[in-house]
Order: sequence, then structure tokens, then C-alpha cells
Amino acid sequence: MASGIKDKVAIVGMGCTTFGEHWSRGPEDLMVDAFEEALTDAKIGRSQIQAAWMGNALDDINVGNSALPLAHALRLKSIPVTRVENMCATGSEALRAAVYAVAAGAVDFALALGVEKLKDTGYGGLPLRTKGLANDLWLPYGSAPGSFAQLAGAYAARNRIDHVDLKRAMAHVSWKSHQNAVSNPRAHLRKAVDIETILKAPMIADPLGLFDCCGVSDGAACAIVTTPDIARGLGIANPVTVKAVQLSASHGWEMQYGAWDGGFVENTRQAAKRAYAEAGVRDPRQDISLTEVHDCFSITELVTMEDLGLVDEGHGPYDIRDGRFDRDGAQPCQIDGGLKCFGHPVGASGLRMAFEVYSQFLGRGGERQLGKVDLGLTHNLGGAPFNSVAAVSIFGRLN
Amino acid sequence: MPGSEKQNLRERYVAGVGAYAPLLRLDRAAAAKALKFSGLGGRAAGFRAVAGWDEDALTLAVEAARFEVGRPDAVIFASTSAPFLERSHATLLVDALALDSRTRTNEVSGARRCAVAALLDALLGCGEILVAAGEKRPTAAGSGRHLSDGDGGAAALISDRGAARLVAHASLSHDLVDIYASREHPEPYAYEERFVRETTIANVIAPTIKSALANAGIDPKAIAWAAVHEPIAGSWRDIERATGVNAPNLASELTQTVGDLGAAHAMFAFALACARAKPGDHVLLAGFGSGCDALILEVTGTMPGANEAAEAVRTGLAFADYVRFLSLTGTLNLDWGVRSEFEPKSQATVLERYGRDVIGFVGGRDAKGNVQFPKSRIPVRPDADGPEPWQDVRLADDLATIVSVTADRLNFTPDPPFWFGLAQFGNGARVMMEFTDADARGFAVGDRVRMRLRIKSHDSRRGFRTYFWKAAPERRPVLEG
Repeated sequence: MASGIKDKVAIVGMGCTTFGEHWSRGPEDLMVDAFEEALTDAKIGRSQIQAAWMGNALDDINVGNSALPLAHALRLKSIPVTRVENMCATGSEALRAAVYAVAAGAVDFALALGVEKLKDTGYGGLPLRTKGLANDLWLPYGSAPGSFAQLAGAYAARNRIDHVDLKRAMAHVSWKSHQNAVSNPRAHLRKAVDIETILKAPMIADPLGLFDCCGVSDGAACAIVTTPDIARGLGIANPVTVKAVQLSASHGWEMQYGAWDGGFVENTRQAAKRAYAEAGVRDPRQDISLTEVHDCFSITELVTMEDLGLVDEGHGPYDIRDGRFDRDGAQPCQIDGGLKCFGHPVGASGLRMAFEVYSQFLGRGGERQLGKVDLGLTHNLGGAPFNSVAAVSIFGRLN
Repeated sequence: MPGSEKQNLRERYVAGVGAYAPLLRLDRAAAAKALKFSGLGGRAAGFRAVAGWDEDALTLAVEAARFEVGRPDAVIFASTSAPFLERSHATLLVDALALDSRTRTNEVSGARRCAVAALLDALLGCGEILVAAGEKRPTAAGSGRHLSDGDGGAAALISDRGAARLVAHASLSHDLVDIYASREHPEPYAYEERFVRETTIANVIAPTIKSALANAGIDPKAIAWAAVHEPIAGSWRDIERATGVNAPNLASELTQTVGDLGAAHAMFAFALACARAKPGDHVLLAGFGSGCDALILEVTGTMPGANEAAEAVRTGLAFADYVRFLSLTGTLNLDWGVRSEFEPKSQATVLERYGRDVIGFVGGRDAKGNVQFPKSRIPVRPDADGPEPWQDVRLADDLATIVSVTADRLNFTPDPPFWFGLAQFGNGARVMMEFTDADARGFAVGDRVRMRLRIKSHDSRRGFRTYFWKAAPERRPVLEG
């Protein structure tokens, strides 16, 4: 009987570059900067890393395929290094692999590093890519905003919410993230934006306007994980531990079977349910102190709040506008600005979320430091609502 | 002179007709206004049917052929603007209509008369034969034909039984170059209108029609309806004078409402004539181009598909955006930016495995009755526990309901926005697909949609295209005026 990974793995070092348009820095620079910060944080030598997982979603853009770019950049000498890719959930996937390796007792120290160099595409947004030669014969080449915009219409229909009310709640989501990012020196977009500006922004994919969409960025983030015993041996009395890492992937049900109404993300629900069980979370509204969720689009964050069980179904727009997830609300979300404003270098985002939660545990939040933090949750979503990969992770202190 | 020998014809009929005009209709007056500075543009009256970026001669022919065609013995595709030089459109048509792959296929081209010529051959032949024509002719901006031509399709099913019997016919082969198009000059090159009008009527069209009338042994005044492809719009009165026929020419009306449809024109007009004719009426059908084929048919009953053909003319969406028209007709190459640089290269091996199910929109019913597209080794049904046998189910002719939808303005499409979403079919199948033919209202969750065959991807670098079905509004708006 599987016992889960709760408290079997500790995070002893993390690093994260600033996210943004790094015209003068290549993926090698980003990987090295994030890793050196994590090494310094962990107070270990690079030779102690025994295995590494590199998360990179769009290998054809600059970074290159396989994990060799990571091994080369960090000069990891002859250790197992593996590239993982699970769309926008890639960063969490890299962390999951490293955590499992330590939990399994295979290695003492493992590295998870996510990196993406998107600003070399020559334009904003994610590039159009083949969906596989057979799928290309029939599947639409929809953009990411186009795929998630459909969540809005279906959510409104499912919950009988007026489109204007929904649009205002979505605007609040983006307004809040812009507010939060102002005090985050690593964030890509550090400018507050008022609600009316958000509402009047040019349309990208109905009903998602420009400010309903996260930016795409260059960046890297990483974590060094080990066992709690080794962490204590490093002088960390009460290390940050992984309480749960769960992942759920579509098997075609949403897109091909008639039961889904399009207004929620089934994989978020499945991954959250298992993560809560693994971490021993009984009431996420009470037990979770902060969340970093996959706000690739404002509607995604809104629906995710419901899929994570943090608000009742159909109540998301109201709780959001009441400020429940604002910085001074009962359960702050995206205290670092989220994907919306911290930025979204795809393969790094899951680890960036973990970085913020880890930083909050260690009191490193600076101006955005929250008060008492018991458990932090990250939610990292890849693909589209109708064909997704959802990762839900929960972090806390060992004691 | 065309032959006028006594004709001993076996009883052969047109058993059904189909016609298709694309959604968009350019207001020619608006185009003329845009061209006013230049003095170019030709006729400023009526409308021109304009194909979407995702339509071509094949898709237009397929849409026209979507009436009750049964199981024809042969399918003939007719066009002067077929997209492929080496790849059979007739074969694609068989797959798109999900017909038996043992159906004989052939295609005709060479002159815009080719569809009527094929129709005549089918009437003189045996078995059930489907003739389907489609045209989306490239024309140069500013040329008269850019506005006078239209895009569209027409089809007819020929059988030993039906609703219009072939009474007589006559043909004339005559290389009179009123227009031509070539590999070096794909856009039709037109010669002087007065020469064309006078010479073609006197030397080609009138003699052929008179021979057909003589072969039928009927008075020209006995013709109740005409579907005669004019060499130049407005020629019908001269043809009437030269032949003694005195009847409404539906081909002339069609030129006003959708434009000159090339190979599809006379057959489309014949469908319109059938919609107005009553049993006993004689219809004159004539195709023109490098000669003439004239047929006289007697209407014997209600023609399947004729009323739908008339509906195809009445419904559509008028527009006056001349720049959009230039873009849609490929005469203005807009720089769509780097997002348009994506190359959708197809592979023959993949097409061989999945192509027929894709162009035929053939999904499958699993062992417990659930329908899905595409088929998979293990069904998507939640309780499926391993591979199951499949029964083919065609989805192209079913309506669906929109579950989710958006107008994507980020994604590249030659005619923004890019509509796509989930379509739910009544039989349980659910497909993420592109939407097309949006009207001013667009699409919304809960809308009913019908399926239209369209270009899925166009690999302009390699000159290749693939086809799939897209969801379109169940009904089109009725054109005003």
C-alpha cells in the first residue's frame, strides 16, 4: 500500500531568476543564475547533486532537446540528467521527479530546474506548434487564449452567471495580481493597473482581453531536495517539506465524451483531491495559508479556486470580488503576482510557484511577506481545459 | 453546324440536383465605389459570391453534391480551377461523401462547358452518375471578371429514373478563344467583349441551340425555362433573338445574384429552373466554352434538391469590404506577421492511415453504442477496459450543439477571427473543431451547427492542402433585397 511522500522530502535550496524579457541573457545564463542561487541557499557543493531533472516545455525554442543543455550549463559531471515535458505543468513535473527520487531513497540530493527562453520567438504569446501529424488533420490550431476563453463561456453557462459580472470578476483577478507584483523585484510586470483599464483592453479571444492573459517570459527556477534527516544535518532545524505532489492528466474524456460541460477543469479536481489526501488536508479553506495557482488567464484562476474547493461552485466571482484572495484577504493567492505578472516562462513556472511558497515559509517575502504560513499550495496546469495536465503540490514545515 | 440527325435516345433522367454558393456576397456597387478612382471594375450591379479562405473548387463541389445521391456507379468532378493538377478531386469527393470506394471516378476540365458536357455524357451513358462541379477561379483585381465571376458549386445525379428526361441534344466543338487560362497565366485572360458576344452567339451558341431544338422537334417557344451560360453577362436577349427561344434564363439571374460560376454555372441555373418548372415544361440547358453543348429536357416531376438550390441563392451575408474581398480572392497578399509562418506539412503515410475517416468525417460506435471521433483502439467511454470493435458512423450529415466556443484573435487565420470550440452531436460524439461561416452575431454556447467540408490546412510552400469538416450555423441569414 502506497504511503505517499508526505514529509519524506525536504527542500533545502531554491533559486529563481527575474522573469521577463531577457534580451541579453540566453538559457544558459538563466539556468546558471537560478542554480547558483539554489546552491548558495542549500550550502552544498555542485558535486553533491546526484540526479537532475530539467523541465523545458518548448525544446525547439533555443534551449534544445534532451537534458544535455542543463548538464552542459551547470557542468553536472556524469550524473543522470533527464528532460521532462508536460506542457505548462513542466516545472511541477521536474519537481515531482526529483522528489520521487529522494523519497525512493535512490539519491540523497536531487535537482529540479525549469527553464524557458520564450522571448526569442520574435512575438508575444506562445508559438503555434504541431499537435502530431494525425491530430493536425482535424484538431484546430487554437491559441492558448482561445482554448481558455472557452472555459469562460462554458463556466458562465454552467453557473448561470451574467457575462458582465464574470468579466468584472476576471478583471479583479488581474487587478489583484498587478497590485501584488509591484512589490516583487523578480516579477516581469510590476505596474498596477486599474479595473477599468483591464475591462477596456483589446480583445484577444472572447471574452479574454489583453489584461486577462499572462505574459510570456524568459526565466528559470530550481529546487534542491533531499531527505529531512540530511536537511537537519545541514543545520536546518525545521525544514520546508513536501506534503504532497499529485498530477492528473486527461485521457480524452473532456474532448471526446459527452459528459463534460466545459465549465470546470476535471484534472485540477482530481489532483487536488489526491493532494489533500496525501497531505492530510481536511479543509483546504482553513488549512491552506496561501496559494500560487496557474493563472495563465484570469478565468483559469477563477475556475481553479472552485476546482480546488476554496470556494463553492458558482461562487468564485463573488468571493473574488469580495477580496478573499487578495493580499489582505483570508486566503491570499498569487502574492508574487502569479503567471499574470511574475511572468510565465513555461517550464519554470511550476518551480517559481514553489519558490514563492518556500520564500514565504522562510520569511523572505520582503514587502509581500505574509503573516503566519502553515501550508502553501501550488497548482500548475498544462494544456487546455479540454485536454489538460494538472499538478497540485502542497508544502509545509516538517514540524 | 451541329449535327441534327434524328436522335433515338434511351430514357435517361436527371434524378436530383444540388447547388451551393458560399456565405459571403460582395456588393458589386461597393466594389465599384472602391475602384472609382481607377475607372476599372466592370459591372456595378448585383452581388458576387465569394468563397471563404477555406473553400476551393473541391469543397464547393462537395457541398453542392450533398443531396440524396444514393450509391452512384460513377462520380465525375468538373472544374477549371481545381486545386490539384495531379491528385484526383473526384476520388476526394467519393471520400468526402463517404461513398463506396469502388465507385468509378473521373474528372473533366478544359473549358467551363465541361460540366454540361459531362452531364450529357452521363445522360447518354448508363448507370447512376453523379456530376459535381466547383469553381473558385483566380482573377486579377481590377479586371472585369474579378467582379463578374463568382464562386460556387453545382451537381446533378443522372439515372434511368428521375424528374427531368433528356429529350434531345446537340454539340459543337469550336476553339473560339473568348477567354483562356494557362499554367503560365492562371487568371482567365479575356478578349474584347463585342467580338466575343457577336461571334459566339452567331457561330457557336445559336446554331447549337437551334440544332437541339430541331432534334427535339419542338418549337423554340415551347421552351419554358432556360439555363444557358452566357458568354458575356447580358447576352441572353441576343441569344433569344437568334434562336427564337423566349423564356427566362436562370443563368442570367444567377450571374446577377452570385456571379458567373464557370463550370458550375449552367448546372446551377438548371437546378434553379427545376425549382420553378412544372411537369411537362421543357428546359433548355446549354454549356458554353470552346464550343457548346445544348440539352433539352422535359420536367416529369418534382426535382429533388431544386428548392434547396433556390434557397442557396436567397441566403447569404452581404458585405462591402473591398479590401477583405481582395484578401479572400488572393489578389492582395497581406503581411500576416510571424504567426503565419507556421508550416502545416502533411505526410502521405498519415493521410493513408487516417485521411478517409477525416475527409468523410467518419467516427465509430463502440461495443456499447457510444459514438466518438476519431476512433481509437480503446474507446473514450469511461468504463472501456480494452480494445473494442468499431462500427463506422458518419458525422458530416448530423447537427451538433456548441458546448464551448471562442473567437480567437491571436491565432493566425487568413480571415480573422479564428472560431473554434467543442461541438456535441446528438449521437454522443463530441469533437473539438473549427467553426466557419460566422455571421455578424458569431457563435455562442448552445447554438445549433451543421457540418461543412473545408480546407483544414494549406501548405502554400508545397502546394498541398488537407480537408476536414467545420461547424457552421445551422441556418444562413436571408439576403435582403
